[in-house]
Amino acid sequence: MKHLPALLFFVFILISCDSVKTYDPPRDFQNIEKDLQTKFILAENNSVIQLDAGDYKFSKSLILEGKENVTIRGKGIFKTILSFKDQKDGAEGIRIANCKNITLEDFSIEDAAGDNIKVTDTDGITLRKIKSAWTGIVNEKNGAYGLYPVLCRNVLIEECEVLGASDAGIYVGQSYDVIIRKNIAYWNVAGIESENSVDVKIYGNRAFENTGGILVFDLPGLTMTGENIEVYSNEVYKNNLRNFAPPGNIVGIVPPGTGMLILATRKVDVHDNQIKDNRTIGIGIISYELVDIISERPEDPSSRDRGRSGQGVDRKYKQDLKYDPYPGDILIYENHFSSRYLIPDLRNPFGKIFLWKFGFKPPQIAWDGIKPEGYLLSDGRENPAYRICVEESEDVKRVILDAANDFKGLTADPEALSCD
Amino acid sequence: MLDVGENVAYSKVGKLKLSDYGLFQQPLNELNPARKMMLYDLNTPLFTDYAGKERYIFIPEGSSSRYNTEAVLEFPDSTILVKNFFYSNQQLEAENRKIIETRLLIKEKDKWIALPYIWNEEQTEAFLEITGGTVPVQLTGMLQPFEYRVPTMMQCKSCHELNGKIVPIGPTVRQLNRNNNYPKGPQNQLERMIELGWLDDYEDQFKWPLAAVWDNEKAFSLEERARSYLEINCGHCHRPGGPGKNSGLDLTVFASSEHSLGIMKAPVAAGAGSGGMQYDIVPGNPEESILVFRMTSENPGIMMPELGRSLIHHEGIELIEEWINSLD
Repeated sequence: MKHLPALLFFVFILISCDSVKTYDPPRDFQNIEKDLQTKFILAENNSVIQLDAGDYKFSKSLILEGKENVTIRGKGIFKTILSFKDQKDGAEGIRIANCKNITLEDFSIEDAAGDNIKVTDTDGITLRKIKSAWTGIVNEKNGAYGLYPVLCRNVLIEECEVLGASDAGIYVGQSYDVIIRKNIAYWNVAGIESENSVDVKIYGNRAFENTGGILVFDLPGLTMTGENIEVYSNEVYKNNLRNFAPPGNIVGIVPPGTGMLILATRKVDVHDNQIKDNRTIGIGIISYELVDIISERPEDPSSRDRGRSGQGVDRKYKQDLKYDPYPGDILIYENHFSSRYLIPDLRNPFGKIFLWKFGFKPPQIAWDGIKPEGYLLSDGRENPAYRICVEESEDVKRVILDAANDFKGLTADPEALSCD
Repeated sequence: MLDVGENVAYSKVGKLKLSDYGLFQQPLNELNPARKMMLYDLNTPLFTDYAGKERYIFIPEGSSSRYNTEAVLEFPDSTILVKNFFYSNQQLEAENRKIIETRLLIKEKDKWIALPYIWNEEQTEAFLEITGGTVPVQLTGMLQPFEYRVPTMMQCKSCHELNGKIVPIGPTVRQLNRNNNYPKGPQNQLERMIELGWLDDYEDQFKWPLAAVWDNEKAFSLEERARSYLEINCGHCHRPGGPGKNSGLDLTVFASSEHSLGIMKAPVAAGAGSGGMQYDIVPGNPEESILVFRMTSENPGIMMPELGRSLIHHEGIELIEEWINSLD
């Protein structure tokens, strides 16, 4: 490393280029709060709530509860603006709960105290042509999720634009039958995230300038575990934003410069994506064990600081017997990788390791290499349930980190993740 | 001041005026029952900005409710649970108490509906206001008035929900198992219900469970009081089947493990609600426990409970801090 001083200088220049992201649309607010609250509450089944053009500000959440076949429709994302700036009551902007077949479309929603649109316990939810944003400088005080269906079935999110979320712009959790397509996600910590969900298709989206572009996570201790996720034909680029998640949230583990990250999920197909200029890794595949390792863990259990710092990692994940902390049955093929960056992002341990081990040729695909018991079957073959198969051209660099052993066995063997 | 009155657009939802139900005699604000109703209290109530609460059960003649060991009593159709929220004359340094709102839970055709009524300034009537409202209140000893927030009809369900349906929260056997003042003198509330013919299939009295009274240090342990407080203030959402079930936290007294109770449990979707901390409850360390942080916040994106309070319940936080300090 004789060029280290020059290299460090170069790196310093790169890091200091992380520009401030700001979204400051002009607004001229009117008050229709009581009228619209009443319409939400009294909405008949099989009806449409039409929102006129205008900038409207609300002091409390708008709640749609227990309704069927209701559409809430604005005049377009530039014309109908629902703002929850300085919200006093409730954590969400719009909350949809215990409904069937609800469509929200053609409006902008901004600045909720918590999540902009939360949908829970609903069968049939379409979010279409909605712009979800937090205004001002993108920062950790922004709300957590832009569009947030959880515990739902039959979810469709399409042609939406999401920015500024301090967790995920589009997040679907603990849901079945989900389509996320043709959306644009930028300036969030996570652009698009599927968590503990089953039968999810994520395609035709553009995720750029987030900390991580697309995440597929499975976390312990929840109502269900996820599987059957297909991520294809997305453009995932320049996801190099600093991680501005408030500490204590799992998404805080995502290194800046991550294209896609698959955590502890099974049956994930990733293909035909354009993955470009993500400075740490194109696609990362990791176990919850790695999450546990990389988060701070003070040695002294009586330490007064043991609740502070680090991320929201569940040390007791092994107590959740339904939870499998390892990824498996992962298939990655025919993606297109490119990067103009020679040096990985050094604000995270992985970037540093990659620079140290590979110099100016950082890898595109990395697996933490942490193997569960039962990784090999009794006859010595790999257990298909834990298999990670990469079928990409030879110039796509793939590495096994051996993260459980301080990266000692780190390898960049093109055959390493081949399943032929 | 809040402008209240009859809004006929609401007539398909419920009666427009509280007096329309004929529950109380005139003058209405004395809250003297006009029908056969039973006054009741809970062993540990929800904190609502230091408001006093006067609760009544109305059960129609010839009907009765069924005993449940854990869940709320199974009430018959046409039951009305009445909860009046008021500030006493001492709290207001005024001549009279002031009733702010009356919330009704009404069971019709096996379904509950929740309706908020807001009292007028003259204290002569309360009007249905499904969009809720804000009432400025100046309490003795507080420098400034605060905004008491009456929930919208939909916000009612944000708490009163179990498996997608509206349910009452308070009237469980363990919460009702206490004395109240009745015409004949102090009497157990459940005994009173039995005497009225309003409770069926009940267990022997010695088997009745008892919820700890959160501020009665003589009769209950710290652990019992803290758990009882958490259950009534948090456990309606944070329980299996409740609106907050997605995080896996269970703050009822039936939580199956320390972990589901939040001890060294990482948050799931807390956002800024984590306050930069890693766990809901860190034994021995309340200042590093997300639970305490969120109880101490007034920011709607952070505070817990999410609804129903504008003020911080200092005495409740003291209790929870003391309990967390006592944990190993």
